[in-house]
Amino acid sequence: MSARPDAGHIAYLAVNGAIITFLLAPIAIITVFALNPTPYISFPPVGISLRWFEKFFSSPEFMGALWLSLQVAVVVLVLSMVIGGLCALALARGNIPGSRVLTAFFMSPLMLPAILTGLALFQLYLLLDIGRPVWGLIMGHTLVAVPYVLRTTLAVLHNFDRRIEEAAAVHGASPARVFFEVTLPLIRPGVFAGGIFAFIVSFDQFPISLFLVMPQGETLPVVLFNYMKFDLDGAIAAASMVSILMAVSVVVILEKVIGLKSYVKL
Amino acid sequence: MDQSASSPASIGLDAVSKSYDGRVRAVDAVSLDVKPGEFFSLLGPSGCGKTTTLRMIAGFETVDTGRIRVGDRDVTDVPVHKRDMGMVFQSYALFPHRTVAENVAFGLRMRKVPKAEIEERVRAALALVALTGFEDRRPGQLSGGQQQRVALARAIVIRPPVLLCDEPLGALDRKLRQQMQFELKQLQKELGVTLVFVTHDQEEALAMSDRIAVMNAGRIEQIGTPTEIYDRPRTRFVADFIGEINLIERPGGKALAVRPEKIVLGAPGAVLDGTIDSASFLGGQTLYRVALSDGRQMLVKETNAGERPVRSVGDKVGLAWAAADGVELEA
Repeated sequence: MSARPDAGHIAYLAVNGAIITFLLAPIAIITVFALNPTPYISFPPVGISLRWFEKFFSSPEFMGALWLSLQVAVVVLVLSMVIGGLCALALARGNIPGSRVLTAFFMSPLMLPAILTGLALFQLYLLLDIGRPVWGLIMGHTLVAVPYVLRTTLAVLHNFDRRIEEAAAVHGASPARVFFEVTLPLIRPGVFAGGIFAFIVSFDQFPISLFLVMPQGETLPVVLFNYMKFDLDGAIAAASMVSILMAVSVVVILEKVIGLKSYVKL
Repeated sequence: MDQSASSPASIGLDAVSKSYDGRVRAVDAVSLDVKPGEFFSLLGPSGCGKTTTLRMIAGFETVDTGRIRVGDRDVTDVPVHKRDMGMVFQSYALFPHRTVAENVAFGLRMRKVPKAEIEERVRAALALVALTGFEDRRPGQLSGGQQQRVALARAIVIRPPVLLCDEPLGALDRKLRQQMQFELKQLQKELGVTLVFVTHDQEEALAMSDRIAVMNAGRIEQIGTPTEIYDRPRTRFVADFIGEINLIERPGGKALAVRPEKIVLGAPGAVLDGTIDSASFLGGQTLYRVALSDGRQMLVKETNAGERPVRSVGDKVGLAWAAADGVELEA
């Protein structure tokens, strides 16, 4: 081999290495802080301890917030898959006039800064005088989570060979059976892929939650934010680690259970 | 186990029309009768309405006007899943999330056939298309030819009175296509099923069909056996679309059509005289382009057999043909 392709290869590796480092550096830093026993965030670390994890897991405030965040995220996951999946089917299949405009409309929560969405919902709930119930928070999260499911499902539907449904119909499947035997199994990976995003968007959601949570029912990101205003110790880093692990496990579990890439070219 | 069709059905189309969005008619008053057990082809260029016609028989498209009959049953208003047909698609349209065996079993499952019988019939159908041992594969793991066999097995396992094929061999390469043509024809004969075959490939239609309907711009130009269509084309379109042809214009917009291989070359002083412009050796035959004195060109195909004079470019020749081989076309 000549020297030139080698130089090119080295540059290729260097660029990719830089990108991966850039993406993973915050996680590495958080890991270091979470395991460092000093009572303030400092570098270099002086040792390894699990005291911040202990503090996090023994705090009723953190635990309550984590539990609420998880519950909200799971409900948002289910709601956004149902709403986003059905919306995508209607938009792709319904022969609805102006379906392109409608698609843009349903995607629009992604274009707005979430903090505006949060403020708008806050004022709406105030006007309606409904207080700040948990379902109001769930609705706010769902609003920004649905576009993710909508987009991934539309992508699958876009490449969908409708002859497959016709083949089912001509060989004796009623429209309902065509849907459950063919359409649903084939769009499911798209719906679940969007669902994973929906879960993470809700679990990590801060700007909308900030406006919509009650003081005694705050989600984990809000609790972390409030905590950081007064304390900046390793508990924050430990909480971040737990959040990351939580998100990763949901992705892994969904991948294992559903097998996202088992039969559909995404 | 007996895989033959329950009993092959006739198909009748009575003045069936279909247009989209008020535009020109995709299918314009098409009437045809397919006999039980017949291999019937709808042949024409893309956009001629052949696929729309097939899709109306299947029930994917509604008809604007006209009636469709299968056997003694008027199916015009019967939904797709109750028409009891088998169908093979150009894109195979297999269920990618199911195994080969599950794909083939689909129609039987929809018909609530007992499980033991499903297994037996799937096994027999896969044996018929030479895919025994592929039961647990996914469609994505098969070649195009194998996928099309699975699609065929899925369609025939229900023993349909009618089998519809929408350009089923169009996605295969030439060699595989010829082999599948042969196999499909054999299978159709064995099963005795009525088969409606859509294709734009005239050679394929000529080789496989009992009868052909040549379609153009939503209408049927001619229905006949392959020999009738080839030897006795009725219209310019049919003459031109099927094989090579010489058209000799006649007064009043009429024309006489003569196939290149029906013309005999001889000494000048025959029906038409000309000069050989080019000669292409095709193996079994040689194709000559003969320039007539008035500037027109004629194609002549001569079989390379026995003692024949050697002809070369520039030779003066006479062209003649039996009166029966000249076909008067409708204006």
